[in-house]
Amino acid sequence: MNTNITKIPPGFLAATKALAETLLHSEPMLAYHQAKTHLKRDAEASTFLERLSTAQNEFRARQSNGLVTQADIDHLRVLQSEVQANKIIMLFVETEQAAIAYLPEVNKEISHLLGFDFAGMAGPSSC
Amino acid sequence: METIINELEIASPSVVRQATRDFAAALSETPQFKDYEELSIQLRGDTTAQKAIQAYQEKQRSLQTLLMLQAVPSQEQAELERLRQDFLAQPGVKAFLKAQEELIVLCQTASDLLGQHIGLSFTAVCGSGCC
Repeated sequence: MNTNITKIPPGFLAATKALAETLLHSEPMLAYHQAKTHLKRDAEASTFLERLSTAQNEFRARQSNGLVTQADIDHLRVLQSEVQANKIIMLFVETEQAAIAYLPEVNKEISHLLGFDFAGMAGPSSC
Repeated sequence: METIINELEIASPSVVRQATRDFAAALSETPQFKDYEELSIQLRGDTTAQKAIQAYQEKQRSLQTLLMLQAVPSQEQAELERLRQDFLAQPGVKAFLKAQEELIVLCQTASDLLGQHIGLSFTAVCGSGCC
């Protein structure tokens, strides 16, 4: 639990929670979470992603040792094509990008009202 | 942790805008924000502090190229550090920086709360330069 929460004045804490709840119900965030849930529940999509991730790690390892072959490149391309052809994965990617594009708009509005960049002031503590 | 949402309730853009406005209004009512605003105004009117800041900035500017090359002579480096310490020692600067730090902590806490709730890091997504 974040101990700093105790330092937030109650009115601001309530407004923060209300904004969080509202954002969660905005169209881009709803679409993102829906796609994320579908992705987690889809065994085939999860398998594609795991296989691609493993292959990418192996490829990087072979690359750093100068051992990459044409067969490695072809194998990676096949896996990438499988992932790109999977509608559930692609919907997740699209909705995630839309959610990522949406939040800076919200920050822009907050920052405009406050007179400073809110996210900039908050810094990269949570990344 | 999986975020559980009632998908039937979609917040319209106007509802989001209102929540955003309420959030900004609530933040501007916090003691941290008010102190920051007040001390920022005071600092702008503090001629001693402004002279100290200006002296440091002018010295920094004059050494800009050497600083980039990390080739500042030790005597100049010491002078720059003395000017920096001089402006940081100004009561108006100290008070402003303390207020700024408290506002930063407040914004970080709120941003972390938002991020935990929506499942995306607000600051990472809105990283500096995006706005």
